[in-house]
Order: sequence, then C-alpha cells, then structure tokens
Amino acid sequence: MAATWIRPPTRPTEIDTLVEGVDRYNPSNVQYLEDYLYQQTRERQYDCLANLAILKLYQFNPDLYNSDVVINILLKALTAAPGPDFSLCLALIGDRSPYQTTDEPDPLIPLLPELTKLSELLMTCRFPQFWSTYRSEELAPLRDNYTVESVGFEDAVREVAIRAVRQAFRRIGAKRLGSYLDLEGTELEEYVHEQGWEIDGSNVVVPPNADNVVRSTVQSEEIKLPQLAKIIAHAQMP
Amino acid sequence: MAQRNVYEQELDEDLGDNLDFAIGNYVQSGAPGLYDDQVQLDQATLAAMQMQMAQQQALASVPDAVKRFIVHFHQSIRDGNLAEISLAYESGWNRLTEKFYAKTEWPEAETISPLVGDDPIFLILYRELYYRHVYSRLSPNIDDRFHSYENSCELFNYLLNSDGPAPLDLPEQWLWDIIDEFIYQFQSFCSWRSKVVNKNEEEIVMLAEGTQIWSCYSVLNVLYSLIQKSQIIEYLKATQAGESPETVAEIVGEYGTRSLYRMLGYFSIIGLLRVHALLGDYTLALKVMDNVELSQKAPLARVTACHVATYYYVGFCYLMLRRYPDAIRTFVTILNFINRMRQYHTRSYQYDQVNKTGDRMYALLAICSALSPTRLDDNIMNTVKEKYGEQYGKMTQGSEGLAAFEELFTFACPKFIAANPPPYENEVQLAAWLAEPPADPATRHLALFLSDVRAQDTVPTLRSFLKLYTSLDAGKLANFLDADEEELVQQMMVMKQFSRSLTRPATSAGSLLEGEIVSTTDLDFAIEENTVHIAESTVGRRYGGWFIRNIEHAQRVFDSLRSQPLPITKPAVAAAIANGQSEKTDAPTTQSRTAAGRTGRAAWGTANPRRVEIEA
Repeated sequence: MAATWIRPPTRPTEIDTLVEGVDRYNPSNVQYLEDYLYQQTRERQYDCLANLAILKLYQFNPDLYNSDVVINILLKALTAAPGPDFSLCLALIGDRSPYQTTDEPDPLIPLLPELTKLSELLMTCRFPQFWSTYRSEELAPLRDNYTVESVGFEDAVREVAIRAVRQAFRRIGAKRLGSYLDLEGTELEEYVHEQGWEIDGSNVVVPPNADNVVRSTVQSEEIKLPQLAKIIAHAQMP
Repeated sequence: MAQRNVYEQELDEDLGDNLDFAIGNYVQSGAPGLYDDQVQLDQATLAAMQMQMAQQQALASVPDAVKRFIVHFHQSIRDGNLAEISLAYESGWNRLTEKFYAKTEWPEAETISPLVGDDPIFLILYRELYYRHVYSRLSPNIDDRFHSYENSCELFNYLLNSDGPAPLDLPEQWLWDIIDEFIYQFQSFCSWRSKVVNKNEEEIVMLAEGTQIWSCYSVLNVLYSLIQKSQIIEYLKATQAGESPETVAEIVGEYGTRSLYRMLGYFSIIGLLRVHALLGDYTLALKVMDNVELSQKAPLARVTACHVATYYYVGFCYLMLRRYPDAIRTFVTILNFINRMRQYHTRSYQYDQVNKTGDRMYALLAICSALSPTRLDDNIMNTVKEKYGEQYGKMTQGSEGLAAFEELFTFACPKFIAANPPPYENEVQLAAWLAEPPADPATRHLALFLSDVRAQDTVPTLRSFLKLYTSLDAGKLANFLDADEEELVQQMMVMKQFSRSLTRPATSAGSLLEGEIVSTTDLDFAIEENTVHIAESTVGRRYGGWFIRNIEHAQRVFDSLRSQPLPITKPAVAAAIANGQSEKTDAPTTQSRTAAGRTGRAAWGTANPRRVEIEA
C-alpha cells in the first residue's frame, strides 16, 4: 500500500531519479514532471510524490506556476481519499498570494473552494452529495475543462466509494450502492460484477475481507523474555 | 552560579511562544553599510577611519575578564582542545553573558580582532555566537539579520570551499547549534519579512534588493552542500550495511572521515527535516530521513537537543499525514526518554528547552490520542491528563472539541513559514498585497488540520452508542442520533475509514513513509443490509506485571534474610542482657561484652550494601 504510493510501479526511471535526488529543486526540470502528470491523467496512473515535487517547484519559483497543472494535480489527489493527499497538495499551494494574478484571471481561484468542497464530501463518504455537486451547473467549468481530460476521473471516484463500502458492508442495498457510484441498471450490474461482487435480489453481497468481518476478541497478555530477566538471573544464583 | 545559556533562550524563541521581535529600531539611517549605494567614497573612508578609532576605544572598554576569555577561547580552538572549547562554549560564554552582556551586544568582532591576531576563522565563529546572542537576548534589526546571514555564508564557504577539509574541530553540541541556529534565523527572518505593515522605507528597499538573503534556495543549498561534502548518506548506508571501518573511510573520502564534517552533514539532514516541515512539505520532510535511524543508539541521540527536535518534527509530520499511531509512538518514545533523563539533567542548560518541547509533544500527543484512541503508557497518559486534561476531555467529544483542537495545535505546532516574500520590489503589487494579504502559514496549516478533525467529528458519539450493542438496526441507531438512515450509514463508513491507519512497525528499517494499513480500534463493526453487527475486542486482565513485581520482591526479601547473620546464640544474649544492652541484641553478639553492640552494627553494615545493590 504505502510502497506503491511512495514509488508507483508505473513511475519511469528518469522521474524517479528526479524525485529522489536534489534535481527535484531545479526549475528547469519542471517540464518533465508536468509531462509525467499529463501521462498520469491520460493513462489512469497516479504518483503523489512526483506531483508534490511539481508543487514544491511552484512554491519556490512562483514564475513557473501553471494553474492547469495544479488543478489536474488536485483532481488526482481528490480521488486518493481517504488518504491525506489532497491536503498535502493544499499545504504546498496555499503560499500563493492573490497579487500574483496579473493579466488573466487564475482559473484555480474560483475552483479551489469547489474542489475543497468535493474533497470534504469524499472524505466524509457523502457520495450521493458528491455526485450531485459534481454534476451541478456551477461545476460545469470544472467538468468541461478539466475532468473531461482526466481519463477515468469518475471511475476513480467510484473506486473511493468502493473502498469505503468494501470496508464497512457485508451486504448493501443495490439502490444505495447505485447512489454511491452514480450508476443504475445494467451499468451498475456490470460494475458490481467487475468488482467480483454478487447481486442477490435487491442487495449486493460484498465478499468477506479483513475489514468487514468482525469478531470479538480478547487480547491476552504477552510476557516478553526481558521482563523475566531478573527472575531468571536470580534462579541461577547458588 | 547560574549557567543559563543563550542557547536555551534561542531555542525558547525558536520553538517557543514569542517571535514578535520589536522591529524598526533601525536608527542609523545614514550609516555606511554594505547595502547603501549612495555613500560616497571619501565619506566611506572617513567613516572607516572613525570606526577604527572607535574600535580601539571600544576594545579598551572591554572588561578584562572578557578579554582573557576571548584569548583563551581562541587558543583552545587553535589547539583543537575539545574539552576546553566545550567548557568555554557551554559555560564561560554564558556566564560572561549573564555578567556583562545580559542586555547589550557582545563586543563587535572587529573590536576584539587584535586579541586573536585577526584570525579570520575565529572571528567568523565569534560572530556566529555574537549574532546568536543578539537573536536570543536582544531585538535583531535588519542589519543584524543581513549580517548574520552573511556570516553564516562565510562560515559555510570556509568549510565547503577551502582547499581540502578545514583544520577545525568543534564539539558536537556546537555543530548542532550552528545548524539549528542557521535554520532558526532563517525562520525568524521569514516571519519578520512577511509582516509588511511595520517596515520602514529603508527596510523595504533593502528587502527588495536583497531577495537572495535567507531565501529558501540558499538555505537548502547550504544543507544539501554539507550533506554532499560529508558524504553522510553514503556513510550511513555503509555503516548500516555493516562495512568495515576501512571500507567506510574509503567510501566517504577525506571530508567524510572527519568528525566535524560528518556531524555537520548528519545534522543537516535533521535540518532538512525541519525546514521542510516548516514549509508544510511533510512527505519530503520524512523522506530526507530515509537513511537516518531513529533510535537512542543513533548519532542524533548524542546531542539531546537534536534528539528531542528530531522526534518532535517526525511526530508532527506523521500527525499531518494522519498517521496518528505513528505519531503517538514517536512522541511516547521521546517523552519516556525525557522523563528518564530528567533525573540526571535537571541542571543542564538545555533542560528548560527540552521541557518546553516536551510540553508541546504532550499537547500533540493529546491531539493524536483523541483522534485515534489507544492504550498508552500509564505514566505518559497521566501527564497528558495533568497538563491538558480539560482540552483532552473536550477533544474526545467530537465537534464540540474543535476549539480545544485549535488551541493545542496552535500552541504545539512548529513556526510555519511562507516560502516567498511579499512583493517588496513592486510598489503596486505591494499595495495589493497589503490590501488583501494572503492567510499566514500558521492559519493555513491550522485550517487544513481542522478540516481533518471535522471530517471525523461524529465518530466519538457514534462510538459511544455502538459500544452498547452487539447488533442493532441502522434505522434505530439513526433515531438515537437524530439523523436519517442514509446519513448514519455514511457516518459509519467514515468511522470505519478512520479506524484504519497506515502504520510503520517500530522496528522496521527503511523509509519513515513506509507502512501498512492496520486497524486502530477496539470497536469494529460491519453492516449487513440494515443491521449493524458490532464486535469489541477487549484486553484481558494483565497479571504478568503484578506477578513479576512480587516475585522480584520476594526474591529481595529472601536475599536480605539470607544475608543476615545466623540467629543469636543464647549465652551471648544472656551476657548482653546482663550488661544492660538488651536494645542491641537484635544482632548476633560474639564474645566480648563491650564490643557486642558494635559487632552487631557491623554485621548489619555488611548486609546493607548488598541489599541496596539488589534493590538498585
């Protein structure tokens, strides 16, 4: 889990060298990292640390700042919920001050509160509300300009919902699951089957896993050898 | 004699409450300075001559004790006598500060220069201490801030860019202080710089021109250069791989074999951890620690201040990464260490500082254990409740505790900084900046933290209900909570999410970012359609500790009984009584009447040390 987050298998060697070394501070490398970000958006990959390296460069070199890149990074981080990725990104971009927007209006400024809202909805598992907000009129600019480019964005959000459901449920109403995934009818059925889950009448059966099988346990005490050291040592005395 | 050190004062401010330097006492508006282009040449020469004369006078007025100290200090550094340097550094300097310079600057380096034969290296080191004193005791003005930066640069230039390793040896404590102070001054400068309102015109001009001074890049450059020069990463890797000292020496080269460079490189890694944490880059902060072993046997533990600071920043980063169990483990480890150390170091000059950082860690620990309740070491938990019991109570109540979270976080978080200065170079932009200043970094990071807290604010209430049942209808539970069923189900999913956390096993090597998902709760549940099944894991009673303690106690009693002399023989007792010494007959008496009492005591006397030994 953590290992693939720290270094996704899809990360190219050159990017790895950049992210791991001091070259990550070199402003002229921002291009490679940005290209890699666009590769992630096209090919459904995600590399949080590489994206944070872009934001780090923006933090140190405000001239490099590219709001489209930032928005794409935030969209990627959004779907990492319930991980901390989104706030890690915000922690780095908050430095920007409004005076820097000179000629064109910065598209991030109106979108940031909306994105934050979306992130909060995902963090608090309010999936139906997420979909209605996401599909609302106000967010048309986000959909038309950004998420349309980010291949698999909606599926990635569904993954977030699936993760939450898989942990908490053994059986869930199909209608409820549909509202979490924003899917209905055959689409929902297909999606459920892709997950390897079964439909049982109006319910969906979630196969047992480490998180949705609960058992009462009594944790018994463990005594470690060092605790007994004195007693054992004493036994050896003549 | 109170040996209060400048150091603790500095660290007080560094990690402490008060960064609000009185600024604007920059009065010498016409004085020649490095940054003043308008000074004409002849004026400058004249001023230089005047300055020289002033300095001669100044030297005359330096107290003899101070002069002697400086000469001696210089000599110890030239001799590379670490014991003497330590003594002068940790004790002499501070005692003289108390006596002569509690409220004023030490003599300027130029003034004392004749005393040390104009030794440039000593003067750089002297200035390092001089500015540190200014920062800790007085209010540094913009010149102090600029000059302390230049002096640091000179020091690092000397170390990094001389031909070959510098022939210098300093105590580890001082080396840590150099790095620590460098970052502290950087952080202090950044927060001072970001307050536009109280800058006068001159300062604005200087800030507009001196954008390189204390820039993030320059600070990182120093730290990374020291790391590279000392080959410390290679050193750590090689020693971890168990290479022989000869191989290690070969790998790290002529710089890395010298302890001065090795320790500076090592402390620079800790410095990076701190700088990145101050800038809000928590993943990078932990990442730079990849090769540093966190343990009491690691080099970082050789300097207590470094030991404590490292754990503080690592724990804080974990907190911001929502890895509460890791944060808790980190804080508990170091707080236990501080408690153990307390017995021995109460009079150390760092004691106050360590305690202050300790207090902050107790506050952070209170936050973490409110967010992720776990069984903690009793001692530590009692202290948490003693110090922050009220806030802790509120924080475990969910949303009502938000103010308490805010209070403790604000108290205990590092002094965040913004990477970039306000636009001093552009008047229009500066006006715009002033009209609508961006949120200051501390506020931003607090807001991010509070949004994490808010996301799980229904968990405590939910938990308190679930504890009462083994299975329960979701609708019924929703009724209890005054929520509709859908809302409840969502809250349950949130609760589930927050009961799982990424955790790095304490013993594992490798990156601090690694970890596995584990369950952090004793109360788990699963939803089956509309029914919630609840399972609680309980901790069985712990007998082991009790038995172990009592067995050990019995052994002690047995030992002391056994070490007592054999029971008293009757004739001796009778003799003793006859002599009216009955009160001393608890010990065996031998032959002589007069010696009876003394012998008895002596017998006890020999038994006693043994008993003490066993108890200890």
